[in-house]
Amino acid sequence: MGTFKDTEQLIGVIGGFIQKLADTEAIAEKMVASNLIFRMVYKDPEGVIVVDCSGDKPEVRPGDTDTDAAITLSMGADIAHKFWFGKVNLTMALTRRKMVAKGPIPKILKLLPVIKPAYAMYPKYLEENGFSEFNTY
Amino acid sequence: MSGFAGKILYVDLTSGRIEAKPLQADFARKYIGGLGFGTKIYLDLIKDNPHFDALSEDNPFVLMTGPTTGFRVSGTARWCVGTKSPLTGYWGDANVGGFFGARLKFAGYDGIVITGAAKKPVYLFIDDDKVEIRDGGKYWGKDTYETNDEMLADLKTEGAKQGEVLTIGPAGETLVKFASILTRKGHAAGRTGMGAVWGSKKLKAIFVRGSKKLEAAGQADLDTLRGELKEIYKDHISVEVLKTLGTACHWDAGLVSGDLPIKNWSQAEWDQIDEIGPIAYEEKLKVGSRTCYGCTVACKMIAEVKDGQFRFDKGAGPEYETMCSFGTMCLNSNMESIGKANDICNRYGMDTITCGSTIAFAIECFENGLITKEDTDGIELGWGNAEAIIAMTEKIGKQEGFGKVLAEGSAGAAKKIGGNAVDYLSTVKGLEAPMHDPRGAHGYGLAYAVSPRGACHGASLNFSIEGGNMYFPEIPEFTEEFEEQTSEGRAALNVACQDFGMFFSSCAVYCHLGAMPMTATQAVDLVNYVTGFDYTIDELMQLGRRIWYLKRGLSNLFGARAEHDKLPRKLTTPLEDGPTAGSVPDMELMLKEFYELRRLNADGLPSTEILGEMGLEDLAALLYSNGG
Repeated sequence: MGTFKDTEQLIGVIGGFIQKLADTEAIAEKMVASNLIFRMVYKDPEGVIVVDCSGDKPEVRPGDTDTDAAITLSMGADIAHKFWFGKVNLTMALTRRKMVAKGPIPKILKLLPVIKPAYAMYPKYLEENGFSEFNTY
Repeated sequence: MSGFAGKILYVDLTSGRIEAKPLQADFARKYIGGLGFGTKIYLDLIKDNPHFDALSEDNPFVLMTGPTTGFRVSGTARWCVGTKSPLTGYWGDANVGGFFGARLKFAGYDGIVITGAAKKPVYLFIDDDKVEIRDGGKYWGKDTYETNDEMLADLKTEGAKQGEVLTIGPAGETLVKFASILTRKGHAAGRTGMGAVWGSKKLKAIFVRGSKKLEAAGQADLDTLRGELKEIYKDHISVEVLKTLGTACHWDAGLVSGDLPIKNWSQAEWDQIDEIGPIAYEEKLKVGSRTCYGCTVACKMIAEVKDGQFRFDKGAGPEYETMCSFGTMCLNSNMESIGKANDICNRYGMDTITCGSTIAFAIECFENGLITKEDTDGIELGWGNAEAIIAMTEKIGKQEGFGKVLAEGSAGAAKKIGGNAVDYLSTVKGLEAPMHDPRGAHGYGLAYAVSPRGACHGASLNFSIEGGNMYFPEIPEFTEEFEEQTSEGRAALNVACQDFGMFFSSCAVYCHLGAMPMTATQAVDLVNYVTGFDYTIDELMQLGRRIWYLKRGLSNLFGARAEHDKLPRKLTTPLEDGPTAGSVPDMELMLKEFYELRRLNADGLPSTEILGEMGLEDLAALLYSNGG
């Protein structure tokens, strides 16, 4: 049994956290500076989240399959969950195709240090938002 | 003989004798190629007199290609060199890319063995069967780029085919302990001072040109595999990032994981780091890219700075290691100066990892009052002082003033500086660590500690496997999802990485970058299709194991012992913050397990039993009857 029982739960937890990042000024600024549109595609359970950084502030749109995204990141939901704890070796995940990235790779890589502060935020977010059962990986 | 050129060239610079000896098929099968050949030949040459200085005429030098070198498959252009290192005093070797290896095989030679020393500067001229030791006086004193261009121009009319030049620069001539050897103005046999050995032999360069064709035993199978790899490479993320960014592609992942060292290994974060990352590289340095023979990855960046105090002509750009050694290690946020330092090192012929790390070490000594401006010829060696860094790099290349002290490498310099300078070292067995922090991936720590040539991330596949760049699902030890900061199980991992790595990197001489997408099966098949051998993965791991013991034994013969299998204090002091905060490798645990697995005695020597099992009775006799 994976971390999330269904799409709704996945979007609620992960989508909610990405929204939190988008609402965090220091991180949002750098997301907007990238001017990129990302689509995260999850499986087990399935789910899609678009993060649109092309405007004045990042917009997080769960379920958006229409917007043209420059970057698509595909991964299992468990990998996504573990990633936000900072516990995924990204290089290894990409090499072993547990994460598949399509799009301008240098720009994807450049965002890594931007989202690094998120790793400390995720456990706290889970506790504060009634998701303490997920505070493990 | 398929795959191989079929001959090894023996050149004695003392007598002037040149002989091409046939490569025997059973030797080729047993030792595979590359440093498999090189270490065995080297041992056979020195066994009657294994005690000599690295810069004496008694130190042979081996240069060997791999069985697949020259077959136009991505990641197979590399070849390697080996000898006793003047920097460490132990076994030294280096892998090199470019075109030289292929051309050597086209000339009819799988390798070159150089013995003795010339009285005056010479270069070796090879054009198929015509091999001559020629007067090199004209080129002596010139930098590697000048020598490359002038020699090619001078020798152009002597033959129809394109030639390649392999050359030392002034640093090799003046015996800078970490002098390198370069080909095509940017592919370097960088580490462990190979260039100084050439300098001691008064060997300036080797020119090679060849017109022969190589034959694969299974051409149809080779073509099919080439096609398969072409499809895989089209879509592979590592190929894409290497093509776009070169080795700088590791920068951001390294920063996030704590792999990237900052301020001589003492700091986890730096607010200016973006000034010198891959985006800055693209904006300020990069003007193009180039490749090695037959490789479609093209990960070598071309750089140029047209104006300003750090201007340099279009040429090889800095790799990730150089961006760190001259950048983050020195808190130097000036991208142009990093390109300049790289250019200086290439022209003089110096290892950028050792040079940059040695300067970082010197900066820390300066900060702590162990050396002053009086010692450093008036240069204010400070963190981030780009002008000082460049000035000192030049001084090292010229062996001038304080540069003469630093030309010994950081360990040698520490002895001269005295006080607690040793506290600022990042060396194992005298070789400065590469830019990958073992506090972030503990297996690296063991890899550095027990590598025969000193701190090295290329001596086995440990960095590639534990770091995640490579994946060989056929080898059970490599399939774990490695949690980054644990020492558990890393000894067994290192053993497997060494065994397979000796085949992959040292003998077949596959490129860790260009061959990254291959599976183990494809890597083995490629050798089999080219040579007609029928190796299995298991057999190659056994053969690789033998090569590891050969390298280890050579270092033991030169005096390496258990006490040298350790990390410096810099790499075992936990950082207070950042991704590796509080983490240090458990060296005691890993070494204990490793010694048991490798059957090393308390002195760090392989047991006579294991050497016997490996068919290395000669080595055992030398180690135990002479006391090593």
